[in-house]
Amino acid sequence: MKFQIELSPLLYSPLSGTSYKLSQLLLANMNNQQNWATPAPNQPRRLSTGESSNPPTYSRNDSSASSISYAQQPRGGAPAPRSSSLTPARNSNSGNEGIIVANRAGDEETEDGRIRNREAATKIRDAWIYKQIRARQDEFTQYKQGRVFIGTWNVNAKGKDESLSSWLCADWAQHGPPDVVVVGFQEMVDLNAVNVAVENKSQQRSQFWVEKIKSTLNSRENTMGDPMRSYTELSVKYLVGLLVCVFVKAPHKPRVKHVSTASVGVGVMGVMGNKGGASIRLQFYDSTLCFVCTHLAAHRENVAGRNADFANVFNKTSFEIGDEAVKEVIKLGSLNQWAAGTNSVGVSDHDVVFWFGDLNYRVDESIPTERVLELSEKNLLEELIENDQLNIERANGRVFQDFEEGPLTFKPTYKYQPGTDLYEQRPDKKLRAPAWCDRILWLAQEPGHVAQLNYLRSELNVSDHKPVMSTFLVTIKDVILSRREEVYKEVMKLLNEFENASLPMVSLDRINLDFGKVRYDQRVTLPITITNTGQVVAQFRMVPKLDENTLCRPWMTVTPTYGMLIPGESTEIEFTIGIDNTTSHLLNTSKEVLEDVIILRLENGRDYYISVSGSYARSCFGMSVDELVLYSDPIREVPLDPILRAEKYDFNAKAAMCVPKELWRIIDAIYERGVAERDLFSVPGSPDEVYQIRECLDTGASFENFSVPSMAEVLILFLSNLSTPIVPAAVFPTLDIDAQNIQSFARKFLEDMPPIQYNVFIYIVSFFREVLLHRERNKLSPAKIARICCSCLVSSSQGSPDESAGSVHQRKGNMQQLMLHFLETNSI
Amino acid sequence: MSNNRFCHFKLVLLGDTAVGKSCLVVRFVRDEFFEFQEPTIGAAFLTQTLALDDATVKFEIWDTAGQERYRSLAPMYYRGAAAAVVVYDITNPDSFAGAKSWVKELQRRGDQNVVIAMAGNKADLEAHRKVDFNEANEYAEANGIIHMETSAKNANNVKALFSEIAKRLPNNTQGGNGEREAFPILPQKQEARNCC
Repeated sequence: MKFQIELSPLLYSPLSGTSYKLSQLLLANMNNQQNWATPAPNQPRRLSTGESSNPPTYSRNDSSASSISYAQQPRGGAPAPRSSSLTPARNSNSGNEGIIVANRAGDEETEDGRIRNREAATKIRDAWIYKQIRARQDEFTQYKQGRVFIGTWNVNAKGKDESLSSWLCADWAQHGPPDVVVVGFQEMVDLNAVNVAVENKSQQRSQFWVEKIKSTLNSRENTMGDPMRSYTELSVKYLVGLLVCVFVKAPHKPRVKHVSTASVGVGVMGVMGNKGGASIRLQFYDSTLCFVCTHLAAHRENVAGRNADFANVFNKTSFEIGDEAVKEVIKLGSLNQWAAGTNSVGVSDHDVVFWFGDLNYRVDESIPTERVLELSEKNLLEELIENDQLNIERANGRVFQDFEEGPLTFKPTYKYQPGTDLYEQRPDKKLRAPAWCDRILWLAQEPGHVAQLNYLRSELNVSDHKPVMSTFLVTIKDVILSRREEVYKEVMKLLNEFENASLPMVSLDRINLDFGKVRYDQRVTLPITITNTGQVVAQFRMVPKLDENTLCRPWMTVTPTYGMLIPGESTEIEFTIGIDNTTSHLLNTSKEVLEDVIILRLENGRDYYISVSGSYARSCFGMSVDELVLYSDPIREVPLDPILRAEKYDFNAKAAMCVPKELWRIIDAIYERGVAERDLFSVPGSPDEVYQIRECLDTGASFENFSVPSMAEVLILFLSNLSTPIVPAAVFPTLDIDAQNIQSFARKFLEDMPPIQYNVFIYIVSFFREVLLHRERNKLSPAKIARICCSCLVSSSQGSPDESAGSVHQRKGNMQQLMLHFLETNSI
Repeated sequence: MSNNRFCHFKLVLLGDTAVGKSCLVVRFVRDEFFEFQEPTIGAAFLTQTLALDDATVKFEIWDTAGQERYRSLAPMYYRGAAAAVVVYDITNPDSFAGAKSWVKELQRRGDQNVVIAMAGNKADLEAHRKVDFNEANEYAEANGIIHMETSAKNANNVKALFSEIAKRLPNNTQGGNGEREAFPILPQKQEARNCC
């Protein structure tokens, strides 16, 4: 995508892809190369796989001695400086330690014993986000073409008044002045012990060279008096004999950020600056550029030393650019992975790295010195290029891994007799094989973003080295922030969809359960089907409400209360309301209503509320005689709401009935129809009839022709399910009863009874005495009735908890004797 | 490790029924809007990440049920929440009264440092406005809380609201770790006993 927005006039800016092709053609002609990696600013949108850049494949051109085939660069060797699939060896000496994404201090142990590190999780997640955004950078980036000039010269501590324009401005006539000028020097001072230790001389010489470069670039002839055509010094870094300095054209100055320098000494003792690297990095528009000027180990045979020096400089160079700048680097996608707590970037964390200097690689020793000299002088370079140590080492992956270098089209740059254009052959000097010591290489994250326009040497002759220079066409990124924001939003939306999809999801076929009218002693079950509609395993469980200990009210049971479902699986959860004595009492007194919300929680997901409701159909069962005597209406018609109830009924004792009408109705019915029935109170009733009879009592409906055993059972159930028993525990006789004292005990017992209970008690005993009159036919005995009475009039659960089993037994015995006494005698 | 803040915050949405809590969340998280959003029966959980200048803030959002009958369950969700969005409907004065009572409840029973934001939703229905912006704003200022009028329907101010909350949330980069280090769990000392 190309955006038609204002282009900087000073940038070599193609308006379309066509210009790109033109520049390629130009390159192909200049360099006699055919298969440059195609610059690809219009890459299709794709999810990044991490392999966003592959090294370009150089095709060997047999007719040309100038290109080298690197079809498959072998990897391996000590440092693997840059690869998106291998861990970049940043800021570490060995490169094998790996990057720790987050400190262990951030580890948290979860409840289930797993270790979670939110910092790590966030960083990894962010890294993914930035990778996605970078993969789509074409959508929000305006690509501009900038020209970068790189010059390098080992000046052998020389340098005075000679003009540098034949070196620095050599191609200006052809390409125009570049946007960025980077110049590196080696041996700007003698590498003697004093200069290595004290930097005065280095500083002095660096000033000299910087001024000289500046005056060359900004000569009246070049600038024509226009300040906008002049170059601004951005940064200078020196280390003993090394100097690197960066200049940009004035209009670009506002778009340069985060300029930082670094130097690494790898010379004497492995740390001194007689050998090493001086580097400058910066952000140019939205591309990150890094310039490394090095002087590597000397001597023809010391190839391994040069390789090691390279690795050391590469790994040790670290730019302390601070949090903010690192964040920007990450956002620009120039950093593949993050180290924990990093506020620095390394060489490989840049869009483009230029590496130049006196790399000191020579022609392989297999070619005799004399032959190297001869071929060099005759400009027969093919054999020398093939035997160039740097080419050999790179082809074998031992140094400058993933870097690129243009074809050598110029004669070896070393060693010249200073002041001449002759290779050093004076008899008093050591005879050296000429070599391409002075080189310029580059490393681009997007290989198509760097194209070399030329790779030349200058014929300046004050030093024993010739200066080398190269101009590059570099694709510079200029991010349109609003568009990047849009891409960011899209990426985040995608991610959020997945993250939220990984939350468990279920569907419930209903969330409101209406149980309708629920009666006493009735169990009603309603199921809910829960189905896992998500993409992950769903665990569900009912949870208590805040500050509660139970999942639901006492009249409700839920099964199961927890479970797990794989995607697509479903199960039923049963919600059952059952009203027993305890709950009916609460419901009767309106301390409780049949309404509840049960919380079903998905582990790591949402909560569902299941609303349960029903209305309690009141029953005389589970109430107290004290309350029942107050109501003249059937209990079902008595409102549950205490206020409405108070309006309807007069609660003073005078209005109350002697015994509950329900008790009277059932006893009367038995009395009328079955008092003489055989095995009365011995044969069980039918559950269906028991239910119907209770309904009749509750609603006031008249009895149908119910069987006597069912009615007898209802009587017993009514009495035993009263919320408080007829015979309170307080009036239990506790002393031994015998024939002498039973009269007084009986009297005392009756006196202690509360009035309503007294009435009921007398009423029931009278009824049973009536029943006993028919003992011939109903086969009942006073003892049996006494036993029945004791079980339904006296609550078995009554009695203080600290009472011993023995005393309970004794009291029951006493109570039974007393009952027998009431039934057999005329004491009432 | 100061170079990037990693922040997770629990955020809860409160407010009367049908004021648009779920719509706000769906707009914020999925950038969608449904004219007929079913009432939330329960509490929906969603996450959304917001990039600020210097941090990425991940919200863990609990969207609660607004119906009165579920009100007593709300504390389950606002307890421990770092931020709360109290939503009202600018066309419904009762919902504004409701919002005030939610704010009171949060101030009384929520976490001490909870960041409260009041959102006057349905701002697209200007013609039916019943709640004066200035009145709501004065209330918010008096209570030191964020106030914005939002429209889940046309997305107005939705992201801004969450960004504003994110800005007011504490930088908790060191929080958790700091606490852990302040109260190290040490093995209990065995008391020396002489047994012979």
